[in-house]
Amino acid sequence: MNFELDEIVIEEQCRHSPLAARIIRASLDVPVRFTDDARQDIRPNPNAADPFAAGKRKMVIMHRRAPFLMACPAGSSEFACCGYLVMVLASNCPMDCSYCFLQDYIADNPAFQVYANYTDAFDELERARRRLSDRALRVGTGELADSLAFDRITGASRDLVGYCASRDGILLELKTKTDEIDNLLSVDPRGRTLVSWTLSPDRVFATSEKGTASPTARIKAAQRVLEAGYKVAFHLDPIIAYADAERDYLALLVELFDFVSPEDISFISLGGLRMTPALRSAARKRHPQDPMLCGEDVLAADGRYRTFTPLRVSLFGALERRIAAASPAILRYLCMEPASVHRRVLGRSPAPPAAVGATLARH
Amino acid sequence: MSQREDLRERVLSWAEARHLDTEHIQRWLALDAASAAAILHAASSLGLRTGQAQAALEMLEEIALREGTDAASILARAPFKRILEGAGSAPARARAFVNELRVMRFPRLGRALEELKAEVAALKLPQTVRMVLPKDLGSDELRIELRVRDGEELRASVRTLESRIAAIERILALIGGPV
Repeated sequence: MNFELDEIVIEEQCRHSPLAARIIRASLDVPVRFTDDARQDIRPNPNAADPFAAGKRKMVIMHRRAPFLMACPAGSSEFACCGYLVMVLASNCPMDCSYCFLQDYIADNPAFQVYANYTDAFDELERARRRLSDRALRVGTGELADSLAFDRITGASRDLVGYCASRDGILLELKTKTDEIDNLLSVDPRGRTLVSWTLSPDRVFATSEKGTASPTARIKAAQRVLEAGYKVAFHLDPIIAYADAERDYLALLVELFDFVSPEDISFISLGGLRMTPALRSAARKRHPQDPMLCGEDVLAADGRYRTFTPLRVSLFGALERRIAAASPAILRYLCMEPASVHRRVLGRSPAPPAAVGATLARH
Repeated sequence: MSQREDLRERVLSWAEARHLDTEHIQRWLALDAASAAAILHAASSLGLRTGQAQAALEMLEEIALREGTDAASILARAPFKRILEGAGSAPARARAFVNELRVMRFPRLGRALEELKAEVAALKLPQTVRMVLPKDLGSDELRIELRVRDGEELRASVRTLESRIAAIERILALIGGPV
C-alpha cells in the first residue's frame, strides 16, 4: 500500500537515527526539512481546510519525550476492559476511517509522528515485564496508529517482533487495516507476536474506511502471517448497525472462517460504534457524505452516542452465536461495554482487566 | 432576481425572524433548490419554532443521506403531505411533523419503544407504581418508581410488582436486548 506524504520533518537530534535514514531512503520524492524542535510541527495547520487530514500527510520524525507505554485510552471503570497495554511508537494514521476516534483524540497534534528513539520502548517493556513477572502482558502498537501502515518504509516491525521473540511473558499485538505484511514474513516471531485485523463488511469498507485494504485482502494477509508462525486475531469493531448489518457481518464471518480456520484464531473482539459528542461532530464535519454516521445512535448513559441498546445487543448476540458455533475455543470479548451487556451477550461477568489481558496474551 | 436568489432571500428572511443560527442557515442554503424550498414551505406553513426547524433540518439531511435521496422527496411523502395539508392547529401539526421525521430517522428505535410502551401499559399498574424506560433506550436500566403515602399503599404496590415479575422481566429483556 502506498500512502502519499507532502513533507517529512526531522528533528535535528534524530537526523542520524536509523529510522530517519530508512525513511529518507524509501521516500525519495518527498521534501525533507530539519527542525530543532518538532513539537511546533505537530500542531494543526490553521490554514488547511482540513487540518486533521493535512496532519496525516506530514510525517514528523521526532524524539518521544513521554513514556512509550500507557494504559489503553478506552479503559474506564464504567466498562469491562481487556487489559491492553499500549506502546506508542507513532501517532495518527495515513488511512482515514470516518469513525476513527483519533479525529478528536489527537485533533490538537494531528501530524503523523514517528518516534526515532522507539527502541527505548524496549527498556520500558523490560521494566514492566520484571515488575509484573507473575502475569503475561499483551502489548500493542495499534491504538494511536496503525501498526503496519508505514512499515514498508520504517521497518519497525522487524525490530519489535525480533525483540519480543526472545521474551517470555509478552505477547506483542500488531493491529492493522492494511495488508503490509512483507517485513513480518522475514522474521520468526517464535509465537510471541499476534497480528490482528479490524474487519468490517464491504459496505462499511466502501463508505467509511478510506485508504484501507479491502476486508478480503486483510483476511488473506492474516492467512499468510499465520502460515509464517504468527498468531492472528480479529476485531469486529466498530460494528455499525445499518439496516442489513446483521446479514453483512455474518457473511463477513463466513468469509473469514473460509480462509482462516476458527481453531487458528486467538480471539475475536466485538465493539459497537461509539462516539463522544465531540468526536461525532468532528466525524460528521469531515465525512458529511458517510451514511454510516447517520445510524440509530442515541446518547447513552456514558455520554457517548451508541446504537440504542437492544439493537446493539441483538447484533452482538447474533455474531457471538456464530463465532461460538464455529469454535467455542475462540476467546471473545466486548470492547467498552458495561458488565451487564457482557452477561447478556457472553453469558458471564467480565474478568478483571489484568486477568483478561493475561488470558489473551497466553492464548 | 433569479429564482435561486429569491429563495435565498426568503430563507434568510424566515431564519432571521426566528433567530436561526448561522450553521443551520448555511446547511439549509447548501441544499438543492427543491429541498430548500420544500423545507421553507413546511417551516412557514407550520410555524416551526427555532428548535423544531433545527431538528427538522438535521433529521432531513440524515434521512436523505442514509436513503440516498433528497429532502424534497422525503417531504413529498404521504405522512408529511397529510400533516402539511391537514386540519388542526399549527403548533400541533408542527409537533406531528417533527415526530414523523423522528420516526423516519429512528425507525427501529421507534418500533422498539412502541412495543415497550405497549408492554408497560399491559401491566395495568396502579398510580403508585411507575415504570420509567431509559431515554431513547440508551441504557439497559429500567427505573421503577413507587410513590406511596402509607404502609398500606407500600404493601399494595410491592404486591402488585411481585405479581407482575414475569412481565417486568420480559420488559427488561426487551430493553436489554435478546439474549
